Amino acid sequence: MTEPNTADQAHDTADQAHDTADQAHDTVAVQADATAVVGGTGAPMIECTGVEKWFGDFCALRGVDITVGTQEVVVVIGPSGSGKSTLIRCVNRLEEHDRGRIFVDGIELTRSLKDIQAVRREVGMVFQSFNLFPHLTVLENITLAPLQVRRWPAGKAREVAMEQLEAVRIPEQAHKYPGQLSGGQQQRVAIARALAMQPKVMLFDEPTSALDPEMIAEVLDAMRELARSGMTMVVVTHEMGFAREVADRVVFMADGEIVEVGTPEHFFTDPAEDRTKLFLSQIL
Amino acid sequence: MNPTRPPAQRDEPWTWARRELFSGPVNTVVSVVFGAALAYVAYRIVAFTFLNTEWEVVRRNLRLFMVGRFPIDDLWRVWAAGYLVVAAIGIGAGVTGAVAAETAVAKGRPPTRLPTAVAVGRFAPLLVLVVVLVSLTRTVVPGLLAVGAVATLLASRTAAHRVPAGRARALAWLVALGALVGAFLVLTGFGGVGWDAWGGLLLTLFATVAGIVLSFPLGIVLAFGRRSRLPAVRWLSGAYIELFRGVPLVTLLIISQVSLGFFFPTSVDPPSLLARGLIAIVLFESAYMAEVVRGGLQSVPGGQVEAAQALGLRRRHVVRRVVLPQALRAVIPATVGQFISLFKDTSLLGVVAFFELLRVSQTVLSQPDFRAQGLDAVTLGFAGFIYWVVSYTMSKESRRLERRLGADRA
Repeated sequence: MTEPNTADQAHDTADQAHDTADQAHDTVAVQADATAVVGGTGAPMIECTGVEKWFGDFCALRGVDITVGTQEVVVVIGPSGSGKSTLIRCVNRLEEHDRGRIFVDGIELTRSLKDIQAVRREVGMVFQSFNLFPHLTVLENITLAPLQVRRWPAGKAREVAMEQLEAVRIPEQAHKYPGQLSGGQQQRVAIARALAMQPKVMLFDEPTSALDPEMIAEVLDAMRELARSGMTMVVVTHEMGFAREVADRVVFMADGEIVEVGTPEHFFTDPAEDRTKLFLSQIL
Repeated sequence: MNPTRPPAQRDEPWTWARRELFSGPVNTVVSVVFGAALAYVAYRIVAFTFLNTEWEVVRRNLRLFMVGRFPIDDLWRVWAAGYLVVAAIGIGAGVTGAVAAETAVAKGRPPTRLPTAVAVGRFAPLLVLVVVLVSLTRTVVPGLLAVGAVATLLASRTAAHRVPAGRARALAWLVALGALVGAFLVLTGFGGVGWDAWGGLLLTLFATVAGIVLSFPLGIVLAFGRRSRLPAVRWLSGAYIELFRGVPLVTLLIISQVSLGFFFPTSVDPPSLLARGLIAIVLFESAYMAEVVRGGLQSVPGGQVEAAQALGLRRRHVVRRVVLPQALRAVIPATVGQFISLFKDTSLLGVVAFFELLRVSQTVLSQPDFRAQGLDAVTLGFAGFIYWVVSYTMSKESRRLERRLGADRA
C-alpha cells in the first residue's frame, strides 16, 4: 500500500524535481507550481527533460519535462493529438525521441540496443487495442517473454503467469485463445502479460478506449488494485473518475506540451490554465 | 418454450431433389439436360478407363514411368529408399499426432482421434493410385512390397505415437531425418545411381521436394530482405525477385543447362545437370515464394511487433515467435498453391533432357509397338492422374492444416 507521502519525503522529492526543472531552464511547459511535486516514495523512476519528437514536419512533443517518482501514479489527459501516447511510447522507445533526455530507472534511452532492452525489461505496457498474440493461448501469451527474455524455467514462468491471471480474476481462461475472450478479458490478459515480467513501471495507453462500456469497469478495477499495490504507473486515459480517484498527479497535455500538472483535487476543482478549463468543460 | 438445439435441417433425398432440382419448369429442364450431360461424361470416362482402352503401353513401360532409366539391377535401391521415406513419414505423423493429443489434454479438451474411416478417406486418392499401380504390374512382388510399405507406414506411426515426450521424442525426429538421408544415400551411395540417371515419377517427386525444401526458406529470407531497413539489402532483394519472376522458368532451365558453367571458375567442376536444373527451379520459385511470404508479413498488424518489443523480446524472437507464425499461417493457401505449381512445373525439366514423368509419357509413344496408334490420351491420362492425385492430396492436407491451426481462434 502506498500511503500519501510523508512530509520529508515530499520535501526531498520537491528538491529533486526542482533540480530537474533547473536543468531544463529553457522549458516553456512548466507553469503551475504543482509541477514541482513528485509523488510516490520520491526516488525518480522516469525522468524526461526537454523531450522533443517530430513526425516529419509535425512536432508531436515540444520539449516535455516530467519526472515520475517510484510508486507514483501519473494520469495523462488531454485532447487527441496532444502527444500523450507519443510521450509514453517514448518511455519504452516504441518511438525514438529527437531531442532531450529520458532516463528510466537510472538508464538513459539512447541508440544503445542493450540499454533499450534493459529499459523494456523493466517497463510493462498495455495498449488500447490489447495486441495479444492471436496464435498463442492466454498462458503462452503471458509466459512468452518470461521464458525468452528473463529465461525463467518453464515451471516458474507458468506459476507466475497463473498468479497474474488470478490477480485479474480469469485463471479459468488460461488455455483459451485471445479470440475466444471478450474485450475486457483480453485487456486483463494484456495486463497480466505485462505484469508477468515483474516490471518496475507500467504504461497504459488508453487501455479502456476500445472497450464496450460494460467492460470498462473490470479493467479499471484491475488497474486500481495494481495502483494500490504500489506499482509505478503512467496512464493515458479519458476516464476522469479513475484519474480523480487513483492518480497522485494529473498531467494535462495539449499540442505537444504539458500545460498543467497537479493533484487531482487541484485539477478538477481549481485548474489554473484556461486551456485546462476549456478541456475539462468539454468532457465533464 | 425452451429451445435446446437448432431445428433439424435434414431432408429426405427426394424432398431435397424436388425442392432444389425440380422446383419449376425451367429448373426441371436445366436439371434434366445437365443430368444427362453429366451421366454421358461419366459413362465415357468409365468406358475409356475400363472398356475401350488398351493399357498395355503403360503396363509394359511402368518402370519407365516410375523411375525412368534407373538401372534394373539397382531397382532394389528404389524400394529400399521408398521404405525409408515411408518410415520417416510414419514417424513424423506419429510424433505430431502424439504432440497434438497431449496439447489437447493440457488445454482441457479430449484428444480427438480420427475414426479409421475418416483417416482412410483422407488419403483415398493416394490409395487408389497405389492400387492402380499395383494392378498394372505383372508379377506379384511389387504388390507384396506395396502392402509391406503401407504396413511399415502404419507400424512406424503407431510406434512413434507411443514414444514418450522429451529426449526420446527428439531422438524419434532424428531417426526420421536419418531415414530420409539414408533414402538418398541408398539411391546414390555405395555404387548407386547418380541423380542424373533418375527419371519418371522418382525424379518428379525428388525435384519437387528438393525445390520446396530449398526455395521456401530462401523465399522467407528474400521477403524479409525486401522489407529491410537497409536500402542495399532491400534493393538487392527486390531486384532478385523482379528479375527471376519476370523470366519464364523454361528460359532459366535452358540457360542453366547451357551456360551455368560459365559462372563457375575453371578450377571448380560445374554442378551436374540435374543440380543445374534444381538451381534454376529454386531461383525461380523462391522469387514467387518471397512475394507470398511478404503478403503474409504485411498482414501482421504493427501492434503485434510493438507488443513483443514492449515485452523486451529481441528482434529475432519477435520475428520467430510472433511475426513469422502469424504471417505463414495467413498464407498457407497461397503457399501450398505455390508448392502445387512447383510440383507441376517440374514437368518443364522434360524440356531440357530429363526423363521426368511427363517426358516419359511422350517418349514411350515412339516405341515400335505403340507408335502412331493415338495412344497419347492413354499415357497422358495416366501421367495426369498421378499429377492430380499428388496435387489434390497436397491441397487437401493444406486445408486440414489451416483448420487445425485456425480452429481455436474466432
